[in-house]
Amino acid sequence: MSGTAQRETVSFWTSLHTGKYFDSLIQLTIAVVTLLLWEWGSNALKAEFWISRPSSVAVELMRWARSGDLASDLRLTLMEAGVGFLIGSIAGALVGFTLGWVERLGKLLEPFVLSLYTLPKIALAPLFVLWFGIGPMNKIMFSAMLVFFMVFFTTFQGTRQVDRDLVANARMLGANRWAIWTKIAIPYAAIWVFTGIRIGLPYALIGAIVGEFVAADAGVGFRIKEATSFFNTAAVFAGLVVLMVISMILLGLLKLIEMRALRWQTASGIIEPEVTP
Amino acid sequence: MANPDAARTAAQGSDMLIEFNEVVARFGSLHAMGPTTLSVRRGEFLAIVGPSGCGKSTLLNMVAGTLNPSSGSVLYNGKKVDGPNSDVGYITQKNYCVPWRTVEGNVRMPLELRGMARGEMDERVRFALAQVGLTGFEKAYPKQLSGGMLQRVMIARTLAYGPHVYLMDEPFGSLDAQLRMRMHAKLLDLWQQTGATFVFVTHDLQEAITLADRVVVMSRRPGRPKLIVDIDLPRGRDVVDIQADPAFGAYVKQLWHALDLH
Repeated sequence: MSGTAQRETVSFWTSLHTGKYFDSLIQLTIAVVTLLLWEWGSNALKAEFWISRPSSVAVELMRWARSGDLASDLRLTLMEAGVGFLIGSIAGALVGFTLGWVERLGKLLEPFVLSLYTLPKIALAPLFVLWFGIGPMNKIMFSAMLVFFMVFFTTFQGTRQVDRDLVANARMLGANRWAIWTKIAIPYAAIWVFTGIRIGLPYALIGAIVGEFVAADAGVGFRIKEATSFFNTAAVFAGLVVLMVISMILLGLLKLIEMRALRWQTASGIIEPEVTP
Repeated sequence: MANPDAARTAAQGSDMLIEFNEVVARFGSLHAMGPTTLSVRRGEFLAIVGPSGCGKSTLLNMVAGTLNPSSGSVLYNGKKVDGPNSDVGYITQKNYCVPWRTVEGNVRMPLELRGMARGEMDERVRFALAQVGLTGFEKAYPKQLSGGMLQRVMIARTLAYGPHVYLMDEPFGSLDAQLRMRMHAKLLDLWQQTGATFVFVTHDLQEAITLADRVVVMSRRPGRPKLIVDIDLPRGRDVVDIQADPAFGAYVKQLWHALDLH
């Protein structure tokens, strides 16, 4: 055997162990084993009523998709969550930034903000039915409210922590009030708005789903609730799978946007200076 | 610097650019500094040394307008300082880079704030970065740079807008010894080219003597000027050779005794 061939073999194994493919392989294995255990356990423990099993869930998913309900349910739920998300994050960013940046205002309103913070927002769901009826508007507003609070709190807390020295320094560099806003305050707050949005995004979906639980006649949340009342565990899990997939897609999208908008945060590696006297 | 005459054209009126009159700094019940009476001449390189906590930085903050004296007054160009003084460039050990701008963008910021024309901005940014040896790092983000490099970005940023006064608070504290020496040489060049006034706070006696026309020794808290020494070493100083000068050693000794750190 030639030396080169040997080296190649070694590097193949090394790359297998260290490369990202190897990690993906492990992850895939974990997923498959989990599904198999679920399928087997469901049979062995005679627990299909409680935990269903992957094959039944898949069948249920297929039926849901073929009937055309999946598409329309998805459209409805995503619309509710999406519009709610937009309204909530814009309002949350604006209010959070204002209260965070204007120190006096923030101090003044802090006790009220805190009392709202501790309130379990989910408890407002019935009230929203009263206010906005049982149509999509109710879910939109509910999910907007949940997102609003996440974005608002994060932006508020983050923006108040702006380094006041940085501001004083910018003044010394010649910044007037307007420039402080555009060149320091807003870019700084943007970091926190993004953080808030990332935390708030899942809440958009939670809002829509909870809204549908409370009162609805369509949507993914409604299907899950309906399936539960018919003891159709497989359909419940089918709904959960759909929600999981949606969330993952949404988070992936957000990450993409974030990477472009906040490139300075994701830029990695330490650049070492060459010696240039 | 691009506008070597800036400081000189601004030279009007008195010979003294900065005047501290009976200035006292108190932080709550702590009497930190003063009463201090001290003047900085136009175009002078003044170094201030003293034990930690003697109020060296406080003096600079008052010139920069970020701190008001508890009593007494600070005059800049004959006028009382109140509010941030955009005539000065303040360089401390803390880095004030905004993290979302590149190196270039950070250096450009004060120029944007002054509403400078794009062409001139580019020119100045390029020049300033070259001066501190950061050419080639224009597109890097602060997060990617080491402490020493960030420090040089801060210096370049100040250089770019060419203030009349450079306030420096242990600016080279985070640099290694070699880089420090190189920066000393750069700083002396800069001072000579711009004719700007430098007020340089340090606790490194050698650094003070190498750079300054006069060295002020502050006493322990409450800090006040204890001794002011004229550094009578010829200009056009070489940062290495100067240390071999017998007079250099004598200054070190004199200042060391005045510091009285035992």
